[in-house]
Amino acid sequence: MSAADEDFEDLYQNAPFGYLSMRPDGRLLRVNATLLGWTGHTADQLTDKRFHDLLTAGTRLLYETSYAPLLSMHGAYDEISLDLHTAKGAVLAVTASGRIRRDANGQPLSIRVAFNKSGERRRYERELVEAREQSQALERATQALLKAERQSSELREQFIAVLGHDLRNPLASISGGLRLLQREQPPDRRQLLLDMLQGSVSRMSGLIDNVLDFARGRLGTGIPLNLRSDIALTPVLEQVVSELRTGTPERAIETDFHLNLPVCCDPSRIGQLLSNLLGNALTHGARAKPVRVYADTDGGELTIWVANGGDPILPAALERLFQPFFRGQVKPSQQGLGLGLYIASEIARAHGGTLTATSDRQETRFTFRMPVATR
Amino acid sequence: MSAAKRNNVKIRGHGETAMVFAHGYGCDQNMWRHVAPAFEGQFRTILFDQVGAGGSDLAAYDAEKYASLSGYADDLAALGEELQLRDAVFVGHSVSAMIGVLASLKSPGLFGKLVLVGPSPRYIDDGDYRGGFTPEQIGELLDFLAANHMGWSAAMAPAIMGNPGQPELGEELTASFCRMDPAIARDFARATFTADNRADLAKVTVPTLILQCSEDIVAPTQVGEYVHRQIRGSRFVQLTATGHCPNLSAPGEVIDAIRAFV
Repeated sequence: MSAADEDFEDLYQNAPFGYLSMRPDGRLLRVNATLLGWTGHTADQLTDKRFHDLLTAGTRLLYETSYAPLLSMHGAYDEISLDLHTAKGAVLAVTASGRIRRDANGQPLSIRVAFNKSGERRRYERELVEAREQSQALERATQALLKAERQSSELREQFIAVLGHDLRNPLASISGGLRLLQREQPPDRRQLLLDMLQGSVSRMSGLIDNVLDFARGRLGTGIPLNLRSDIALTPVLEQVVSELRTGTPERAIETDFHLNLPVCCDPSRIGQLLSNLLGNALTHGARAKPVRVYADTDGGELTIWVANGGDPILPAALERLFQPFFRGQVKPSQQGLGLGLYIASEIARAHGGTLTATSDRQETRFTFRMPVATR
Repeated sequence: MSAAKRNNVKIRGHGETAMVFAHGYGCDQNMWRHVAPAFEGQFRTILFDQVGAGGSDLAAYDAEKYASLSGYADDLAALGEELQLRDAVFVGHSVSAMIGVLASLKSPGLFGKLVLVGPSPRYIDDGDYRGGFTPEQIGELLDFLAANHMGWSAAMAPAIMGNPGQPELGEELTASFCRMDPAIARDFARATFTADNRADLAKVTVPTLILQCSEDIVAPTQVGEYVHRQIRGSRFVQLTATGHCPNLSAPGEVIDAIRAFV
């Protein structure tokens, strides 16, 4: 067989790819037998049809808004993905290449489009997209795990710090106190030692509470509240103040309570909040100036504030005060966990309240507010 | 960031009044290359790419902001403010026709006239309103875009490979034409084809020209007529040009219609 024997009509009709031509307005001119076979349409059915009648609605929109302009601008496109309707209502995935045929003046005469089946390629693309989505999901999960792992390792280090250092100090003073008590002591001296022991125990207990609450907060359960209505808070607050007075007898603590309304709250948590604020004020406030504690229930709102004198807190530090493990400039002997204010703010949050701080030359003041009756 | 950089703004021409050309879904400002030059003698022409398209700054893309057409309208208003536009002529194609309407409502005084080419305030049918598409058909488009990242990318290749028919188009100019990040293309398609801005049309008070193509399956004639009825005093011109992009297929007819209006 020679080249001259090749039948051009057959070369067109039975080419191993779909092939059609249309007028510039999209009306079909000719569709080859291969494409008719793939789609199940007959030549008669396609008379007067337009190219986009062969496309699914989704790709039709895409074709009109993206590929048709591309063709118009460049005279050609290659390797575009399209979905064709078949006569039986199935979808045939193809890739298409198109060319505009122009007359001598450059005016479009017709548009020719060739199609290759791309079901396999489309599946492969879809798998690639899915694989990428899976790997992104995996990446996100890994990052989340890593973050959780880092947090729990921080927590672990903090526990070790508490056991290794923060609890050892009060423990050492308890041990020293007990040694002294084993000997004969005058009654007033004996009482002083017992008070000191009590103070150390309270401090250890407070540290343990804070660490446990921090762990709970970080592990997602939040600060647990044992809410009770109609709490008269004055004795609760006075108890806290008296405990801290015992621990630091040399410091002046002034109180001013006007709690006229009962409050719906967890009293031991409110006590813990005040204890943390007061402890903070005693540690950081100027020793020569009194620490003032105020509370009222005016306007249906419980307000408790604690104020101390001394150097103001720098604005940058003020912003970070309530973050866990934040420690300001403190003397080594005053080292705490940096959890007290964080826990206090979490307690405030759990009560639907707020804890804010202001600081200037006059005083540093922490103010807690919550509604007297929670929802 | 300046709007000029974000939206790849190109300013040409002379004239006291500015004419802003906005391209539709799927392409970039090159859509106007056969139309805008005709107005450079009389107007200061301003072309730009919507964020995500063409030569826009992709770093400015924010999926949340551009989840609705309002985000694009904000860009247009910001662009108008930066260029100190007053009573400009707005020419918007396809989805950008509605983006222009929204911007004109957000910034009264920005546009003195609106030219809406193939506008549609809603593509999905709703009761008596015929937008031209069922929700399922729009879903099909969005699914197709979601699942065919590679096909979408491949379609962009010929844009760089050259143009046998029209060698006058420089490669550097057209390299970005119709090129869009697949994820952005999908977001923009969702914002475009699921939008419903019918209620905004009645608020338009500036003189408005609607250019309606023949046999446009994206924005069919009944939709153009709906827009015409909703915008009081608007002018409606039926083009003989077919398809959705007369700015490419019949620039002369588009130019004549705009010129008669401005």
